[in-house]
Amino acid sequence: MSLFLNIIKVVAIVIVALFALTFTVYFFNLDMKLTAAIYPWLNKQYDKVKRDQHL
Amino acid sequence: MAKEVGADRLGDFYKEGSLVRKRREWRGLADTMYDYSRWLKIMMTLGKFVMKPRNVKAMFRYRWMANYLAVPMMVDRHTQGLRGEYLRICHEEQDLVIDDVAKLLDSLFRGDRRIGNDKKFSDKVVLVDENEMTAVMMGFPTLKCLSRETPSTYVSVLLNQYAACHYIDVAQEFGLAGDVCPMPEAEAGVSIDDDAPVLGACAIQCNTTCDGSLLGNGVISQRLEKEDGIPVFQLAAPLRHREDDVQEYAAQEIRNAIAFIEKHTGVKWDWKAYFECAKRVNYATECRQEWLEMNRTPYPQVFGSNLALYTETNYMAICGRVAAFEKADRKITKLARQAYAKKKMAAKEYRHRAIVWGVQSHYYMDFLVWLLNCWGIVPLTDMLSMVSTKKLVTEDTPENREQAIYDMAWLTENMIMRNRTHGGYKVLLDELWEFVEMFNADMVILWEHMSCKALDGMHGLFEEKAREKGIPLVWVSHDLFDPRIISRQGVRDQINSFMHTVFNEEPIDPSLEVLPDEKSW
Repeated sequence: MSLFLNIIKVVAIVIVALFALTFTVYFFNLDMKLTAAIYPWLNKQYDKVKRDQHL
Repeated sequence: MAKEVGADRLGDFYKEGSLVRKRREWRGLADTMYDYSRWLKIMMTLGKFVMKPRNVKAMFRYRWMANYLAVPMMVDRHTQGLRGEYLRICHEEQDLVIDDVAKLLDSLFRGDRRIGNDKKFSDKVVLVDENEMTAVMMGFPTLKCLSRETPSTYVSVLLNQYAACHYIDVAQEFGLAGDVCPMPEAEAGVSIDDDAPVLGACAIQCNTTCDGSLLGNGVISQRLEKEDGIPVFQLAAPLRHREDDVQEYAAQEIRNAIAFIEKHTGVKWDWKAYFECAKRVNYATECRQEWLEMNRTPYPQVFGSNLALYTETNYMAICGRVAAFEKADRKITKLARQAYAKKKMAAKEYRHRAIVWGVQSHYYMDFLVWLLNCWGIVPLTDMLSMVSTKKLVTEDTPENREQAIYDMAWLTENMIMRNRTHGGYKVLLDELWEFVEMFNADMVILWEHMSCKALDGMHGLFEEKAREKGIPLVWVSHDLFDPRIISRQGVRDQINSFMHTVFNEEPIDPSLEVLPDEKSW
């Protein structure tokens, strides 16, 4: 019984922690802030790609 | 942070010089949790997409793929200030469109000779234009109808206002005219820049709407046919689409297009599949008509970008071919009926009822939400949402098979934008004033897409008629895909000064009047 309760407790803690983490990311727009930091780096990468530019 | 509609100062979420906003809105517990759950779903869609190595490879190969980093922000822009049913309608639509675009990208990269190089899959792909009615694909359920321009330019600009600028510049560096519509110019730029996936058994291009479109298609088809060995069919739909004498020619073009696809894919037209799609097209039309009926009353429900973006996708790009859109139509209608029965409003105050006409600024699609939140202007409907309401035949009989060819021709002639910018004086000018009366509108917002010659030529005629009818009309200039010509604030300023000087009004939310979003996605 106590093992079962411990499992429930661990699952509940994991769910609450995951919720707290993802909700913080969501509410403070951290996902977009992170991608905004990646964006300029990606653009530099595209400049290095070899292309056959012509009409 | 407020639960009530219109209690937040929405302009305070913006940050000078930043690509993104400071934080997301608190919409009360129920609506915030709903929005959060939909954000999680979007993150899962994106996560599923990047799990495939070929999609990651494509992310580093194609410049326009970087714009897809901004997917959640696009949804945030369109849901600004929304609560209850309006928030749910917006998510139903946007999340489905995101899912559909993710599948489109995945399919493109699977067949792309540079990325997935799945030859067997590529042989089942028919490429179509971004701005093309996909009616000729309704009877080919085993083929993949894919548009390269939809993700590379159309959706990209919805995600990032500057997405097309690089490609516009490339096209002009190679000598293409700078005064054509920047949409086909950017599409041509993608091809010139060697930045389009290469795949497909064949392609169908359409003489969409304008000179720029023909120019763009010419550049793209040259590369497709001469270098990539992908044969291209030019579907030349008549421009005088309201005239009876062009319909036989239009029908013949459809027969020819179907024969071309059959020849190059080895797949035969399937009437059963066609009539199934036709039923779904009719259902989507019924739903749209019901939404528009509600918009004629004091309690409009599906309007603004909720109406515009979804109609563009569902009517033209989907055209009854994807069952999930029928389910979304049903859900949206249910939510709209629910809100209508309770006489709900999407903003705290409705001051004006507007018809939005002309070709809207693509880099500022959420302008329609801004109109509502800042000035209390309800964009009841827009030109691109006023598409064909003709019912298609749905029973498989020999006579109906012949009629179905004419139905597909009619849809192709009446694709979005083209059904108004071509076809004569009545469809562009006269019907606007009929809609003003029908929707009981008290103002007209007329987009002036400065590179659209089809519309610019009618400037004086619109003004003359507005004066005659006594309806206030405001011009809003823009350059469709290029915010360097007129910025988002430049677009807003035209409304701001009109509202201050002509209506002598102050904004409902003053924080939205001037926004520091010039650098924003």
